[in-house]
Amino acid sequence: MIRGVLVKSFWESNLPTLLFGIALFLVMAILTFVIPQLQKEIGQALAQLPFAKSFLAALLGIDVDQEMTAQVLQSVVWVHPAVLALVWAHEIVFCTRIPAAEIDRGTIDVLLGLPVSRRSLYVAETLMWLATGCVVLAMGSAGYFVSAQRILPELRPGLDRVLMVLANLFGVYVAVGGLAFLVSACNSRRGPAIALVFTLVLASFLLTFLARFWTPAQQLEFLSVLHYYQPAQVLRTGNLPVRDLAALGLAGALAWTAGCEVLARRNICTV
Amino acid sequence: MTRPVIETRNLRKRYGRAGGIESVDLAVEAGQIYGFVGPNGAGKTTTIRVLLGFLRAAEGVARIFGRDCWHHSHIIKRDVGYLPGDLRLYPWLTAQRAIYIASRVRGVDLADAARELAARFDLPMNQRVRTMSRGMRQKLGIVLALAHRPRLLILDEPTTGLDPPMRIELANCLRERVAVGDTVFFSSHSLAEVEQLCDRVGIVRDGCMVADESIVEWRERAPRVVVLRFHTPAAAAAAVPPDFLQLTRRQDTAWYATLHGSSIRLMQWIATQPVADAAVERPDLETLFHSYYLATRGPA
Repeated sequence: MIRGVLVKSFWESNLPTLLFGIALFLVMAILTFVIPQLQKEIGQALAQLPFAKSFLAALLGIDVDQEMTAQVLQSVVWVHPAVLALVWAHEIVFCTRIPAAEIDRGTIDVLLGLPVSRRSLYVAETLMWLATGCVVLAMGSAGYFVSAQRILPELRPGLDRVLMVLANLFGVYVAVGGLAFLVSACNSRRGPAIALVFTLVLASFLLTFLARFWTPAQQLEFLSVLHYYQPAQVLRTGNLPVRDLAALGLAGALAWTAGCEVLARRNICTV
Repeated sequence: MTRPVIETRNLRKRYGRAGGIESVDLAVEAGQIYGFVGPNGAGKTTTIRVLLGFLRAAEGVARIFGRDCWHHSHIIKRDVGYLPGDLRLYPWLTAQRAIYIASRVRGVDLADAARELAARFDLPMNQRVRTMSRGMRQKLGIVLALAHRPRLLILDEPTTGLDPPMRIELANCLRERVAVGDTVFFSSHSLAEVEQLCDRVGIVRDGCMVADESIVEWRERAPRVVVLRFHTPAAAAAAVPPDFLQLTRRQDTAWYATLHGSSIRLMQWIATQPVADAAVERPDLETLFHSYYLATRGPA
């Protein structure tokens, strides 16, 4: 039963997923290639622009003055706004399809006319979201690995550490996707659903940044998804961020479950 | 006594400032074609959406095949074919892909049945929805609703966008299904269509059922148009209409009137009058519907 919905979901999402994957491949390949070459310039820029230093420190979650090694600089690739924007854009677009986009365009009548429960529909969509997430992140990683071949081996982070960062990024993907599913389940229009998730993600991003300067924001920083995503730490220490992964997974799972219950209980009206 | 295929009691669902249903009682028996009629905003689509488990009724009971329409919606739909009123399909869909998905979801290979229906409705299997006309999309919706040979068809204004030959084909198709014991529940604006096709008709107005009768009963109860021609204008002027005949117009030797009750009494009365010719016409459902509406609501 669920296979039919998976097939439908695959036909609908394969092209956007491929496009996002290609975009992420290119962005990560370019960043991985460019950043080591600009290490000196980046160092100079950071010395002259305290604001840029704080911004980078907020993104990386480390003290840039003390810990900026060539390997740690590599982590900029994983927190670059273009990379995060592509990953989040992909999942926000994907996760707001059911039910918000389906109700918005009226196609949910046909979908729910089939003998499939709303929960099954939600689960099928989730499976496809996780699968497409793996594809997009794998393509991005491929871009990274292709360009990383040009970096001197002693400056290149080990494969195990890169995979840990990837796992951490997937945790972020799960948390944001869970939230997007919940927002979508509560909405009957895709535009407002996308706008709301985007606003929350942006607020999360800004909260992490503000926490570097403003004490009240520090107390709320635990609410930011980026608080649990620190590739620089992972690349430096080589420790799997188990607590961060658990926090991201739990947040994603809670939001996802709430979304599932909302969808199962809500009225669906396309007129 | 067998349980009705569709059964609702005191069904109530309001949403938004307007729209919804206040009290809908239905009992659609197996093997019937049930026409569900009413003006725009009367509550037809809301009733259908409650039946399909899209909306949860605020009060009352809605059952299909004896199962609750909200809690067992996905089980019920194994035996239900549904065509939405304002059908929207994915732009990338083709008939072939749609049938493939429906086959996977229903766990039955529907390819042969769908091809047969597509040929019947003159629907290309590989054309994408984005390039289809409205009528074509409607045909695809019909094929999807019928392909798995459901025991119950719920069709919300199914003939929208169809040309006359396809309307006839759909009517034939529905009659064939009913002949083997399936049930059809459809809403329509076209009363002529309902009259032609249905065994029973329900009228909904302002969210309430105002009539639920068989077509035969309704026709028998309805006033008929009578035209009488007398031998001379003087005879026409002198004659006194009986109480069961309501005179609407006199013209020269002719009387135009509506007959309430049996036509036997009219024949008996005519036999005593200098009448040269008489015609009794059966009113169509349209006239009946409007007279019913005016009778229950009063003139605007």
